[in-house]
Amino acid sequence: MSEGRREQEGRDPLLRRILTGAAGALLFPLLAILLSFAIGAVIVLATGNNPVAAYVALFNGALGDPSAVGRTLLNATPLIFTGLAVAVAFRAGLFNIGGEGQLFIGAVTAAWLGVSLGFLGPLAIPVVLAACVITGFLWGSVPGMLKAYFGAHEVITTIMLNFVAINFAYYLAQNPLRQEGPIPGTETVDLAARIPAISFALGRANYGFFVALLAAVAVYLLLWRTRRGFEIRAVGLSPGAANYAGMRLGLNTILALAIGGSLAGLGGGVEVLGTYGNMDVPFVANLGFNGIGVALLGRNHPAGVVLGALLFGGLYAGAQEMQFATDVPLQLATVLLAIILLLVTATKLVEFIVGKRARALASGAGTRLERGLGS
Amino acid sequence: MEDFFGLLGPILQSTVRNATPLVFAALGGLFSERSGVVNIGLEGLMLISAFAGVVGANLSGSAFIGLGTAVAAGLLFALIHALMTVTFEADQIISGTAINLLALGGTGFLMVAIFGSGGTSPRIEGFESVAIPVLSSIPLLGPALFDQSILVYLMYVLVPVVFFVVFHTPFGLRLRGTGEAPEAVDTAGVNVARMRYYGVGLSGVLAAFGGAYLSMGLLSAFTENMTAGRGFIALAALIFGRWNPIGAAGAALLFGFAQAVTYSVNEQAIPIEFIEMIPYVLTIIALAGLGGRAIAPAAIGKPYRKE
Repeated sequence: MSEGRREQEGRDPLLRRILTGAAGALLFPLLAILLSFAIGAVIVLATGNNPVAAYVALFNGALGDPSAVGRTLLNATPLIFTGLAVAVAFRAGLFNIGGEGQLFIGAVTAAWLGVSLGFLGPLAIPVVLAACVITGFLWGSVPGMLKAYFGAHEVITTIMLNFVAINFAYYLAQNPLRQEGPIPGTETVDLAARIPAISFALGRANYGFFVALLAAVAVYLLLWRTRRGFEIRAVGLSPGAANYAGMRLGLNTILALAIGGSLAGLGGGVEVLGTYGNMDVPFVANLGFNGIGVALLGRNHPAGVVLGALLFGGLYAGAQEMQFATDVPLQLATVLLAIILLLVTATKLVEFIVGKRARALASGAGTRLERGLGS
Repeated sequence: MEDFFGLLGPILQSTVRNATPLVFAALGGLFSERSGVVNIGLEGLMLISAFAGVVGANLSGSAFIGLGTAVAAGLLFALIHALMTVTFEADQIISGTAINLLALGGTGFLMVAIFGSGGTSPRIEGFESVAIPVLSSIPLLGPALFDQSILVYLMYVLVPVVFFVVFHTPFGLRLRGTGEAPEAVDTAGVNVARMRYYGVGLSGVLAAFGGAYLSMGLLSAFTENMTAGRGFIALAALIFGRWNPIGAAGAALLFGFAQAVTYSVNEQAIPIEFIEMIPYVLTIIALAGLGGRAIAPAAIGKPYRKE
């Protein structure tokens, strides 16, 4: 440690200690969450309800008893996958808005193979999930290649590819894979080939949650313990320097988006094999878009993504209890999440609230995003 | 052949109807993006306006007051986007995503709070079709172009007006300059932040016309998530139309035509899902540069910090 830094710390030790390290990393998200809940309280008041009662019901619905915890875990599971899908790409300096479509590709893969390989019983589970990883990888590589070879910006291509993927998945679900009967959707995977529930008390929460945790650990190991991960992060931090050091920008771009795709695809597979058993039309929406919020809230770190997903999952789980116990509509949860997302990258707002020094220490996510979409 | 002409009339009419909300939102997106602010929140801007229009019309009994509340809501949400991205330097993509989520959650929340239940709102007095004398009796094109709601006629007027404003007025020059080279226009004395507020604000107003047309022109009620991706198709039209009002309107008409054909001719020749992919696939092709690459305003996506 240099003399200068020590001197600076001596001058302002407490503030520095609070703001560095983990606390610094948590500052942005915590401020966003607190502000969002404060705004939410005003909204609840405006509708003539008691915000304290609403939030107590929300908390009970998210963590109050084992079945509430189970719902939180169940909701958090796909968001861990889609959050990781955003985070990996983000580490390479890329914005993956395609989690929604990638998840649908994985889900329809699982619905198709889960039904046709159902006779394998539990053995089918790893096979099907591996297939979801592969189809997600291939689908995710498309925007990567469009960027690497044609310079098409990944934000727009991933948005557009979402709709291509969703339509394609719906076509498959309603035509070749369609189930008998009036409800549009695929056939249902045999119970033996489904991901089992964790325990009776936790309701529908299933071992897919642990698959998600494993995926988070795998992403951590990939990014911080392998050469490939080092390259991906180097490309994200400074494409010029990475290129000068002999790293291939195109390859790392494609891989980062493809790995993101494989994670969201796996998430889709877990949704089908764990939660739903098939792919209905319409299928569960917004998991991919919420993954963006989860990743940003978790500062694009796997551990943060898990925490962010638990928060989002808990909010959605608690919202139902809140609507039941008070008169507050459950959509309040979506509003709260939107406000969190709105605030979490607002660097100047944080500067406004806590001052410039704090911002300088906590703005990693903000500054990294400041690249244009023009090129 | 007679059968074909019998179908062509309704197809053209529904082409214009499908295209109208897309044109409005794409023109709105154009102002925002030309000023240097990406607006993937068009979907949310349309949705909240569609809802606010119905609430206004429901409370007042007047479609025009509904249009006013729709525009107010679109403007308000757009200004939130501007506040976050221009003033607080939040990421534009994230803020746009949040606007979409906020509109989805907000309309769902307010449906229950105002109308007592989710799903579909009560019916309201919308904008009826107004046939323009003489013009509407032109065979084939007459009913398609000139027997429409007043909002459609407004759209016809807006396309050339926006073209003129963006390319032939000092305001348009400053707006485009702000999106291409903010440092340069700043040096020339233009307030970059203010131009971006104008651009994003106008995107809210125009997207609001699109949203109002959905809930008060095409239908006479609000249903949850009724925009159903139209904001993103509008974004696609904007990019496919090369950030040019005429191009964007042309792209919107093309996308609207593709939809109209499927809905009226479809005999399972091509599955509808594949028709719905057309706007998105074309946009990807345009971005990848086949047939002349679509190039965004140079400074788009970057917050501008005055030195």
